[in-house]
Amino acid sequence: MSKYDLVFANPLMNAAGTLGFAPASHDAQALSGLGAFVTDPLSLGMRTPAHGPHCLPYPGGFLLHTGYPNPGLNTALRRHAARWARASQPVIVHLLVQKVEDLSWMLPRLERLEGLGGLEVGLPPEVDASAAVAFTRAAAGELPVIVRLPFEQAVQLAPAVVDAGAAAVSLSPPRGTLLVANKSGSPHLVEGRLYGPSVYPLALAAVRAITARGLPVIGAGGIYTVEQARAMLASGALAVQLDGIIWKEGLQIWNCWKSMLA
Amino acid sequence: MHAYQARIGELRLDPAGQVQARLDCPPAALPAPGQYLLAYDPQDASAALATPLFAAELLADGFWAAAPLPPAWQPGLVLALRGPLGKGFALPGDVRRLALAALGGSAARLLPLAQQALRQDLSVALFTAAALPRLPSSIEINPLGMLPEALAWADFLAVDLSVEQVESLAGVLGLQGGLPPACPGQALVSAAMPCGGSGGCGACAIPVRRGWKLACQDGPVFDLRAWW
Repeated sequence: MSKYDLVFANPLMNAAGTLGFAPASHDAQALSGLGAFVTDPLSLGMRTPAHGPHCLPYPGGFLLHTGYPNPGLNTALRRHAARWARASQPVIVHLLVQKVEDLSWMLPRLERLEGLGGLEVGLPPEVDASAAVAFTRAAAGELPVIVRLPFEQAVQLAPAVVDAGAAAVSLSPPRGTLLVANKSGSPHLVEGRLYGPSVYPLALAAVRAITARGLPVIGAGGIYTVEQARAMLASGALAVQLDGIIWKEGLQIWNCWKSMLA
Repeated sequence: MHAYQARIGELRLDPAGQVQARLDCPPAALPAPGQYLLAYDPQDASAALATPLFAAELLADGFWAAAPLPPAWQPGLVLALRGPLGKGFALPGDVRRLALAALGGSAARLLPLAQQALRQDLSVALFTAAALPRLPSSIEINPLGMLPEALAWADFLAVDLSVEQVESLAGVLGLQGGLPPACPGQALVSAAMPCGGSGGCGACAIPVRRGWKLACQDGPVFDLRAWW
């Protein structure tokens, strides 16, 4: 097996930012249906929660504006590396990067850990093609790399990123803006990530556009039924990542969906 | 995490005109005061998330769920439940005088704790500006402005507030100079909890004295010492 090969126990995994930083030991039975565990996004330094409302529902879904709070890579490693080594499924560490140089600090700390099946590098929303390639090349090392592309540019950036060495690409949630009232009642805009059933048609179209180019993609976005997951896999996706449906129906879906997709 | 089914037996309006639902469910599903359940309609594919349910009144074979609730929920509907989840209120054994403070538009989520306290023959005083249902006459009702004086009387303070109100809590309690309340207490903090206790989304992050905590996992009831 090439060191760049991604290995999943089955084609189901969670999306970054859905199940925390490590599989909970008390959930081992429920999580046994996961093909891989993707950690919450980890940045080099600590990130604090975003100000303002964090979860805004709208018809067909909800917007999250959280700031991706996390303790920073070093603290996360102290707290969770042992659980990653003990996990019964491959752990994919999601890295939240703003600068290419961040990866030169993060990679050496991660590559010597046990239990990791790969890295998922989450690119900034406004990244251009040359920066996407630079991030991908900087992430190259001992672990296979999934590059999570901004949804709006995924089809455009995927070829260059795969050519630069990514084992696969995945899709970030699309971004959107909602109008809310602040404390004084005056309206203001909140920008964030979009989730929910309404995202699925866009996500399936993006997956199909990427696989049509012969590129490896992990599908994600608004998958709420087994049939929807099956359709993405049938479109050529290597695997699918689930988000809102985990929160709605709970961890019991893993073993249920795994048996239905087998 | 345990899963159950519950049937909506009845709807009623609370004093603020918001809908509450009576859920008939197994005793093991009943949330303790301050805990929550996650509920969704398995037949509704359009719903993106489960709804967190807090008890407004505990019954022998179910509970009245406090607002807000999905408008589509009607009597007869069978819901899927997960939980009970989170840390609820825990009254120390030596408490004799309990002060309850509802800082938002409803005191509903504190009423199960009042029920429990009355069964234990505690003295209960409720401080709120919210409209109230008919309550036992033994519960003393006071305006929020009298809360600072009550801290000298109470053995324990239980607060219900939103995450946006956390930064103004010291002012509401009449505390200055960073001094903590005179009595111990806990606070039930309302925050969006879309990930249902997995701790994955970070949406329920509550600012505390050092950093932040997650309402879905570390709460939603927090010791007041988290802020002092």
